[in-house]
Amino acid sequence: MPSNGMRECDAGGGLKVLVANAGEEYFACQAVCPHQEVALCEGLYDGSVLTCHQHLWQWDIRSGAPIGLAETPLECFKVEVDGDSVYIVPPGALNVGELFSGIAEKTLSEINGLAKRETFPQGGTLYNVGDPAEDFFVLESGRIEFVIGRDDRTSPAGFMLRKGEVFGWAALLDSQPLRIAKATCLEPSTLLRINGKQVLKVLEADPGSGYVVMRRLSSLIARYLAPSGAK
Amino acid sequence: MKIQINARNRAYQFSTVAGEKILYAGLANGINLPYECGSGTCGTCKARLVAGDIADAWPEAPGRKYLKQQGEFLMCQCVARGDCSLEVANFVYNMDPGACTPAACRGTLTNLRLLTSDVIAFSVELDAPRDFDAGQFMLVQVPDVAGYRGYSMVNFERDAGRLDFVVKKKSGGGASEWLFGDAAAGSTVELFGPLGSATFFPALAKSILCIAGGSGIAGMMSILARGCQEHYFDQYGGNVFFGVRAFKDAFYLDELSRYRNEFPQKLQITIALSDEDVPPAAGQRYPALAFEKGLVHEVAARHMNGKYQNVRAYLAGPPPAVDAAIRVLLLEAKLTADNIRYDKFS
Repeated sequence: MPSNGMRECDAGGGLKVLVANAGEEYFACQAVCPHQEVALCEGLYDGSVLTCHQHLWQWDIRSGAPIGLAETPLECFKVEVDGDSVYIVPPGALNVGELFSGIAEKTLSEINGLAKRETFPQGGTLYNVGDPAEDFFVLESGRIEFVIGRDDRTSPAGFMLRKGEVFGWAALLDSQPLRIAKATCLEPSTLLRINGKQVLKVLEADPGSGYVVMRRLSSLIARYLAPSGAK
Repeated sequence: MKIQINARNRAYQFSTVAGEKILYAGLANGINLPYECGSGTCGTCKARLVAGDIADAWPEAPGRKYLKQQGEFLMCQCVARGDCSLEVANFVYNMDPGACTPAACRGTLTNLRLLTSDVIAFSVELDAPRDFDAGQFMLVQVPDVAGYRGYSMVNFERDAGRLDFVVKKKSGGGASEWLFGDAAAGSTVELFGPLGSATFFPALAKSILCIAGGSGIAGMMSILARGCQEHYFDQYGGNVFFGVRAFKDAFYLDELSRYRNEFPQKLQITIALSDEDVPPAAGQRYPALAFEKGLVHEVAARHMNGKYQNVRAYLAGPPPAVDAAIRVLLLEAKLTADNIRYDKFS
């Protein structure tokens, strides 16, 4: 691989990853753009910023964090270099999502310790309107539908989620004890269920990470509330 | 028929009438659904059918190569055959309150004239005036040729009763060949638009850089028209690079000269000839314009080197030329992606 170059690699099991060189270091991330599934190896890379040539979504190669027009982060893999070989370690859903990526490793592993992996069948209900909002969820696989309103007056709330995205985040707020939507699995889905109060306690012990998470949470909420024309 | 769209951030509902493409219906309702070409080639408007039934008007559309998962389809090519529920994997917002909401309209083809051996200009006299922004395009459907083609407006005015276009002849390109034929003048054409996000507004308050190949100059002419009308170039710089193969392939040189002469201090216009040395006649006939040999993105890169502060770039033309310009602007000029505007047609 050339210096500050990149290459698509087959990591086995049908998993394709993009491996990129940045000086002395190597980084690995998903091989296709999360926007339109364009091969990222056809994009542009200058040793720090990766750009998809199709719509100019950009990411920091070190963290997968979105830059500029990109609406979602890249799934990144931990890399171990041994001689001429580069090994990658697939991440958990918690590391993929925007909410927790990049916080202190110890705090992240404590939150990981609070997470319970649960599998739901198609049609399974996660929660109903008015249920207490004790836990939030991180999507590992599958699809979730949200419906707002009560009785006959319901309306789909939209919200397409990607792997690693958080929902039911009312559990992380102080004054929102009840669910405002009904969440149902549209297909068999695997989720991480995490207790909101316990996470807040972990974050209180690490205010630096807590600050990052709260900033991300507020911009996440703002994005769903965004007025017309806002990006 | 009711369409329900679940986007990444929220849901939208709107209605379509029989035969109306789902994308066009959503856009006409002021919902900024993802799209770029609007005509079946780019794949940007893909969505996933969750419930309901749709009909695909163009199952061979090249944009279908971007469809990966079951149930995915192109909103610009499909009509609903009953109530439908869809998913769109983007954040979708309503259009800005001031945006020119796209709509279907109709007009008459007039004023067809050859600009070069393979470039034709024409106007459409609209049945009712329309607003559009400088740099936008319309989807145009000509009689006898299925499907829409996207053509950028050349002119700029508010409440436009006439839209000016310029089209390069493509062999096998049904609509462009039809425009070069005898049947075109006086025909009625169907339009949908305006579309496109490579728009220019004087409130931008940046220098502008236009890099266009061939008929891609159309949108730049509209941007220049607006910029000159509003005396934008009294204050901000404009650098226009127009690439063609040879001097005989260049067009709009009188119009470009006129713009340059209005704002000789801040507006620079360079014609790049990729396949021939600059003939002496070029500079003699058009002293207001600069001529240079080379690919348009290379000529632009040479001139712009070190002058990228506070610049917004607009790109248009054949996809390889646009891609090459993007590469220069991102990697060498270090422009941020939101300051590189283009509409990808393939």
